[in-house]
Amino acid sequence: MIKNSSFRIASKMKFTSVFFLSIFLSFSSLNSSFLFAQDTESVDNSIVQNGESIFKGNCTVCHAINDVVIGPALRDVHERRSEEWLYAFIRNSQKVIQSGDEYAVNLYKEYNNTLMTSFDFNDGELNSILEYIKSESAKPIEVAVAAESNDQGISSDLQSSVSNTTVNILTFLLITLLIITLVVLIQFNKLSKKYILLEDTISGKKLSESDKEFIEYRFDYKRFLKSDFILGATTFVFTIILVRSCIDGLYTVGIQQNYQPAQPIAFSHKIHAGQYEIDCNYCHTGVNISKSANIPSVNICMNCHNAIETDKPEIQKILTAYEENKPIEWVRVHNLPDLSYFNHAQHVKVGGIECETCHGPIKEMDVVYQYSELTMGWCINCHRETNVDAKGNEYYDKLVALHGKNSKNPLKVQDIGGLECSKCHY
Amino acid sequence: MKNIKIFLIGLFISACAAKDDYPGVEYAPNMYHSVPYEPLSQVKDKEIGSWLDSNPDDNHGEFYNSNPYNNNEMTMREPVPGTVRRSNYLPYRIPKDSIDLASELKSPLEDSEEVLIEGKVIYTRYCIHCHGDKGMGDGLVGVVYKGVTAYNSRAVKDKTEGDIFHTITHGKGRMWAHGSQISIEDRWKVVKYVQTLQKQ
Repeated sequence: MIKNSSFRIASKMKFTSVFFLSIFLSFSSLNSSFLFAQDTESVDNSIVQNGESIFKGNCTVCHAINDVVIGPALRDVHERRSEEWLYAFIRNSQKVIQSGDEYAVNLYKEYNNTLMTSFDFNDGELNSILEYIKSESAKPIEVAVAAESNDQGISSDLQSSVSNTTVNILTFLLITLLIITLVVLIQFNKLSKKYILLEDTISGKKLSESDKEFIEYRFDYKRFLKSDFILGATTFVFTIILVRSCIDGLYTVGIQQNYQPAQPIAFSHKIHAGQYEIDCNYCHTGVNISKSANIPSVNICMNCHNAIETDKPEIQKILTAYEENKPIEWVRVHNLPDLSYFNHAQHVKVGGIECETCHGPIKEMDVVYQYSELTMGWCINCHRETNVDAKGNEYYDKLVALHGKNSKNPLKVQDIGGLECSKCHY
Repeated sequence: MKNIKIFLIGLFISACAAKDDYPGVEYAPNMYHSVPYEPLSQVKDKEIGSWLDSNPDDNHGEFYNSNPYNNNEMTMREPVPGTVRRSNYLPYRIPKDSIDLASELKSPLEDSEEVLIEGKVIYTRYCIHCHGDKGMGDGLVGVVYKGVTAYNSRAVKDKTEGDIFHTITHGKGRMWAHGSQISIEDRWKVVKYVQTLQKQ
C-alpha cells in the first residue's frame, strides 16, 4: 500500500517535471525565435531611425506623412511612384519637371508651382528615408490630437471660471451677512420694545420717561430730508461733482487720448505683436530711420498672408487690395497737432525709448487707441525727468563734460535743449 | 432751473473727450490740421472743415488734405522709377532669377563682433518670428506659415553670403521679398549673422 502510493507520487512527480520541462523548453524555443525576429528588426530599425532623423531634419518643413503641408502627404508614396522616380525627384525636382514627366508637371501645377528644394542625398540616405515612410505608412492614422488640445482649452477656461465663482460666492456671502445683520437689528428693536412693555405689565409700574420715548419713537423721514444739514450737504456734494466734471471736461479739449477709431480691416495688434511676437519694426519700418514710424504697405501684410488664413473675409480685403494695387485706407489714430514736430527716429534710435512707453500696452490691444495724452505738459515732463544715455556716443562727450562743470545732476534731456520752444514749434 | 442749466453745461463740456470713433473737440482746429500735404494722413472728404473755411476760393473745407493728381488721391507718392537712395551702397540690380550670379557676391562688410551684434538685432526684427531664434525654422509665425527651412539643414547650410542676400532681397520658394523693408547695409549685416546660424 505504502509502496504503491509512493510509486504513485513518484510517477506524479515525474509527470509534473516532464510537464514543466516541456513548458520551459517551449518557452525557451519561443524566446529564441522571438530573439531572432528582434535581431532582423533591429537592423531594419536602425535604417528606419536613420531615415526618421533625416526626414525630420530636412523634409518635415514641407511634408508630413498624413497631411498636406506645403507639398503632398507622403503616406504610401512608395506605392504611387517607383524608387528611381522618387530618387530623381528628391535630388532635382526641377530637372524631372523640365524633362516633361507628366506626373511631375501635374504635381508642380497642383501645388501652386512651388518648386521642391534639391537635396544631394546618397542612395543609402534616400533608401532610409523611404524605409521610414514605409514604416510610417503601415501605422494607422491617428486622430486623437485635436481632442487633446481641446481639453487644454477647457481646463484653462475652467480655471478662470473658478476664480470668477469664488469672487461671486464671496460677494453673495457678504450681502447675505449684511441682510442677516439688518434683520437681527430690526428684530432686536422689536423684541426690546416688547420686553419693556412686558416688564412693565408684570411689575405694574408706570413706564419711565425714556422708555416711553423709545417705544413711541417714529422716524420722520420728511423732516429729516428737509433739514438744513441734509440740504446743505447734498448741494455741496452736487456742486463739487459738477465743478469737477466741468474742469475734467475742459481738460479733454484738444486731447485725443482714448481715441479708438474703427479700422477698414479688423487688424489686431494683440494677435500679431502679442500672440505671435512679431517685432514692431517688421511692419513699422520707418521707426528707426525717419520722422514717421510708417503704416505698413500691403506687400508687408502679404509676406505672411499669402498663405496664412487666406480664406477669412478680413484677410480677403488684403488680397483684393494687393491684386487691385490699391492702398488700404487705415484711419490715423495719433494725430499730433500740425503746430508741433515729433520725430520717431530721434526718440527710438537715439533715445532708446521702447514703443510701449508712449503707445501703452499695444500687445494687448485688439483695436489700437491713443494711450498717452500727447499734450505739451506730457512731453515736457518726460524731457525733465529722462537722463540722456550718452554712453558710447561721442556726440555727447563735450556736452557731458560741460554739464559736469556746472551741475552734479545727471545730464537730462532738458539740459540739451529739450525745453527749447523751437525744438518742436517752428 | 438755474441748477439744471449748470448741469447741462457740465454735460456738454464732459462730452468733449475723445472716445471710439470720435476724436474729441479741438481747441484751435486750423492750427491742428496741416495745409500742406501730410504723408501719413489723408482727408478725402471736401466737406470736412467747411464750417471754418479760411479760403473760400479753393472749393473745399479747411481740413481737406488730398492730392487729386495722384493715384487714389494719395498725399504720398512712390519715388520715380530708377531713383537711387542716398547711402553708401549702389542699388542692388541682380534680377530675381539670377541667383547663381548673386551667389558669387562677396559681402562688403568685414567680419567683426559689432557687425554680428547689429546683425542679430536686425535678425530679431525681421526674421525671428518665422526662422526662430536659432534659425531652426520654428518661429511662432513660421510654425503656422509652414515650409520654413532650418538654416543648418543640408539643403541650405552651405549657401554663400551672396545667395542669402539675394534670397532676403527677392525672396525664394515660400519666402517673399523683404528688400523693401530692410536696407542694403542691414541686409548684409543680417547675412553675417545668419552665416553663424548655418554652422551650428
